[in-house]
Amino acid sequence: MVTMLKQVLFQEFKKSETKHHELNYLFWECTTRCNLNCRHCGSDCSKDSFYKDMPLDDFLKALDTIESPSENFTVVLTGGEPLLRKDIEICGREIRKRGMRWSMVSNGYLYDNEKHISLLNAGLGALTISVDGLENSHNWLRNNDKSFERVDIAIGLAASSSRLNFDVVTCVNKRNFHELEEIREYLIQKGVKAWRLFTIVPIGRAKEDEEMFLTDNQFRELMDFISESRTRKGIDVKFSCEGFVGEYESKVRDSNFFCRAGINIGSILIDGSISACPNIDRTFAQGNIYADNFFSVWQTKYELFRDRSWTKTGKCAECKDYKDCQGNGFHYWHGEKKNVLVCHNERLKKTTNR
Amino acid sequence: MKRDWKRKIIGGLCLTSIAFVFQACYGTPQDFGNDLLIEGQVKSKNTGLPIKGIKVSVADKVQYTNTDENGKFSFYMEKIQNPKIKFTDVDSTQNILFSNKDTILVIKDSVMRTLKPTVYLNIELENK
Repeated sequence: MVTMLKQVLFQEFKKSETKHHELNYLFWECTTRCNLNCRHCGSDCSKDSFYKDMPLDDFLKALDTIESPSENFTVVLTGGEPLLRKDIEICGREIRKRGMRWSMVSNGYLYDNEKHISLLNAGLGALTISVDGLENSHNWLRNNDKSFERVDIAIGLAASSSRLNFDVVTCVNKRNFHELEEIREYLIQKGVKAWRLFTIVPIGRAKEDEEMFLTDNQFRELMDFISESRTRKGIDVKFSCEGFVGEYESKVRDSNFFCRAGINIGSILIDGSISACPNIDRTFAQGNIYADNFFSVWQTKYELFRDRSWTKTGKCAECKDYKDCQGNGFHYWHGEKKNVLVCHNERLKKTTNR
Repeated sequence: MKRDWKRKIIGGLCLTSIAFVFQACYGTPQDFGNDLLIEGQVKSKNTGLPIKGIKVSVADKVQYTNTDENGKFSFYMEKIQNPKIKFTDVDSTQNILFSNKDTILVIKDSVMRTLKPTVYLNIELENK
């Protein structure tokens, strides 16, 4: 009864949030250059990107269109690898000058002591670094023999800072699946306080590689692992907000599933496109900062993000959990958008509860 | 304002205050802005001229920066009670030798509560 009431209230909460669509979280794809060549990359980034880094001034012009930014408004620098930008600290300071906060998603390869200090000096407030396994499995996925050695230094530095709101993310795949307990112990030993686990989206380089994807049984085991880890002390473990996980909703995250793409989350992509999370199909772009007023686009467009009834198609059409799920994560709608790419809930239902 | 109340009531009834603290699935955690901006200028007490290359650091923390050619410095640091800021002449005799100086900041609550809490320091160093 209480669970049902909470579900209904949460649906109302989502409606209210959607109606008001306050912009809290803005991704800036500031570069698509990358120093790694990860097997699972969804963005097809490369060392020699087709695109030049977006000039800071172009981004700031778009940022300055935002009227009365919300209290916790954060710009999240992403890529590619943001640390390849030589002006990253200048970017951060310019964002802070506007009374906004900034954070960064990084592979950690270039995050050494000097960079740690210069980023803190520039007002970095939150940081996410990817660790995709113990040494061999991390280096395999990251396609680089030194990657683990470097990320080990990076997470040690980041975890040592009481200023940074820092977490580690791990893309769970067939190679690192059996190491999860060891990875958890390793992160605790490094002083990491928060760990988010993902599965890999079948897009970009990953889609043809079977080793990237867990079986349905493994996926359930992953939910059990996260659920069990959340009863322990030492590190806050959670499943990412990538999708609706039915019976595990209250066990693997702090809050129920709510894909906020286009509702509270916007983005400015490398070519100036205005969208939501960077891994969303680029045909969903709502405008371009080189032609449109960014905030005006945020205020008046994004219909497909804020009214998701169009996702009630394919396997979602008859789903009785649709009200709670609403088509899963927006980034699971690609190509012709006739069917959701992955249904976590269906995967769980296919397996028997042990 | 009205909408904020409605939001908080519904979110609270869901028993998930966490509902307001979210992160995009491929993004970072939210930053709660627990820092302040320290900026200022270092000059020679004897000549009044700005001093370049003075190391400005926070006691017991890893952070530091150096003054530029105008003696200026600027960095964000975690909000802590009465931080000690250290000024150290690290280039020794290269531009005259200056005495080191420590300053304990007493920051008013009213400053801490502002949107962009900032402390400006005018520092004078004596010749050694």
